[in-house]
Amino acid sequence: MNRATLTLLSLLLICALSLVAAQQRARKLFVALDNAQIEERKLNQDWLRLEYEQRNLSKSARIRDVARNQLHMIPISPERTLYLKEAR
Amino acid sequence: MRPVGFSTTPNLVLRLPMWRSRLMLFMLFFVFMLLLIRAFWIQGPGNAFYEAKGVRGTQRELELPASRGKILDRNGQVIATSLEAKSVIAYIDTVPEDLSAERMHKLASLLQISETELHKKLREGRKQVFLKRQVDPEVAQQIKQLEIPGIGLNNEYRRFYPEGEAMAHVVGFTNVEDRGQEGMELSREKELAGHPGQRRVVVDRLGRIVEDVAILQLPQNGKDLQLSIDSKIQFLAYNAVKSAVEEHHASAGGAVVLDTQTGEILALANYPSYNPNDRKNLNGEQLRNRVLTDTFEPGSTIKPFTISVALEKGAIVPNTNMVIGASYLVGPKAITDTHVYGNLTVSQIIQKSSNIGTAKIAMNNLSPEEMWDMYTAVGLGQAPKIGFPGAVAGTVHPYKKWVPSDQARIAFGYGISASLFQVARAYTIFARDGDLVPLTIERSPEFKPGSKVISAKTAIEMRGMLETVTEPGGTAVKAQADGYRVGGKTGTAHKLVGKGYGNKYRAYFAGIAPISAPRIVVAVMIDEPTGGSHYGGDVAAPVFSTIVSETLRTLNVLPDANIKQMVLENEVPTTTHGAGVKAQQVALKR
Repeated sequence: MNRATLTLLSLLLICALSLVAAQQRARKLFVALDNAQIEERKLNQDWLRLEYEQRNLSKSARIRDVARNQLHMIPISPERTLYLKEAR
Repeated sequence: MRPVGFSTTPNLVLRLPMWRSRLMLFMLFFVFMLLLIRAFWIQGPGNAFYEAKGVRGTQRELELPASRGKILDRNGQVIATSLEAKSVIAYIDTVPEDLSAERMHKLASLLQISETELHKKLREGRKQVFLKRQVDPEVAQQIKQLEIPGIGLNNEYRRFYPEGEAMAHVVGFTNVEDRGQEGMELSREKELAGHPGQRRVVVDRLGRIVEDVAILQLPQNGKDLQLSIDSKIQFLAYNAVKSAVEEHHASAGGAVVLDTQTGEILALANYPSYNPNDRKNLNGEQLRNRVLTDTFEPGSTIKPFTISVALEKGAIVPNTNMVIGASYLVGPKAITDTHVYGNLTVSQIIQKSSNIGTAKIAMNNLSPEEMWDMYTAVGLGQAPKIGFPGAVAGTVHPYKKWVPSDQARIAFGYGISASLFQVARAYTIFARDGDLVPLTIERSPEFKPGSKVISAKTAIEMRGMLETVTEPGGTAVKAQADGYRVGGKTGTAHKLVGKGYGNKYRAYFAGIAPISAPRIVVAVMIDEPTGGSHYGGDVAAPVFSTIVSETLRTLNVLPDANIKQMVLENEVPTTTHGAGVKAQQVALKR
């Protein structure tokens, strides 16, 4: 067996091992990606839920109720409003 | 010659025949060949079957979920959104028969059904049964923790409507499959619906995904839809209608608010309404979008259009004086007014809502064809094209079939029918210097050109006359709005009951505001008011007033009426006088 054959053989071995390693890495990354995607979906849903909750807290019926009954506010009337003109 | 030993005898020589070993060899060779051929077959041409088997063991097809689009109001506020929910499924064969009473009780209470009902569901003859759909995620998690075999959870979506009943008729609702059933949910189903995708993955022994093979179909989320409706205006319109219906013990009511410049529908309210978040009681009367689907004889609200035709022809001017009298006989029955007037000007005919005056103007100056042209030009007799399910056309009979008594009565709004929505749209010609604007329910805040129906001169004259209706001496003083000049026309129509008119009424008011530069058209209808007055000026006009003043304030429109200022300018901090200050400064004096 001459030197060239030995070199090629070791090269082949290294390639084979790195292929296995690369595949393992790819799978790991894929699992991570998949988890991230699931997380993204979950966060998206959370965002929608929060948006809905915020909307629920800010809906007209609630605001009117809080303003009238808790803060004892009254509707404004034009007589008590000073209208400012926009400066041009 | 070699001697033959005594121990050997030629008779005892046993020799195996050659052919037997040959046969053996051949058979071995043959069997090996068979194995080889089989191996070749499996590896080569017959491979597909095994490959498919292998794939089935390791590959799965998964659904990629897609959500339904949101519906937003003009300011981007959510009025319909889909949130994830779970459905609880029982695989009946797997659910143990001897499930402990305690777990059964827990499951039933989590599902909010009685135990007997749960037992009944589990005894159904089917393989799998939905125990409950659209369960909250938290409850679903608790059910999962019970770890009852054969009880599974499925992903699905549930639709939520934060504005509830105030917006119910506009947005509509979806069914348990997330398909639109009413309102915008139904008419825009195609755009709103999401289409789930599919992907193929490789899973390991434990079912974990290790590799993506292919995406078979990309998921497509539904598109969001932004409406022209303003939730604040919608809410105040709904409440104004609701309190009027309750106050006058009426059977129903409706209101519509239009933006005259952009043709956008700002509010479309109906009462009675329903809660779209609760699907249990969704049926019958309450689902009707009366503003669009109910037609009625528009009564006096049609008078301004009849008179506009005569003004447009130059046959009369607002100051033309006319003899009215106690009654006017056209056909078999005399036309009367609620009060007897001697002489009225054209303007006063509008202000006092005189049937006789309007009929006389029509009979003396107009041909049936001219009147018919006017009514159809403002959209009566044609279903409005705004993409709403169930919008009706109403009827305007062909003018060739009108006999004189028809013509006289049609002139003041009997014998034709229209929806409140159509009446509101028709009034945009007075608000816009004579052109009819195309309406839209989707947000599009730019000015829209309309189609010319009457001249600007006639429209301005008519605005002036409509304003007198709300001034002292008019039929609708109660329509006056705080801070704004308004104009409009009352309507009180006898309801057709069977073949004749009973003593049920509908009260309307249709009007525009502010008169100096009209921004909105508001039409209000209160159906069958009982107890007290049934006149449009008493029942519908106050609703108009509330809606107008609050809507214009919401839209930041400067008041155009003479108002006595109660705040002094120098009370306002000088720093707010800078550029870009548009907000109202409020200083309360108590």
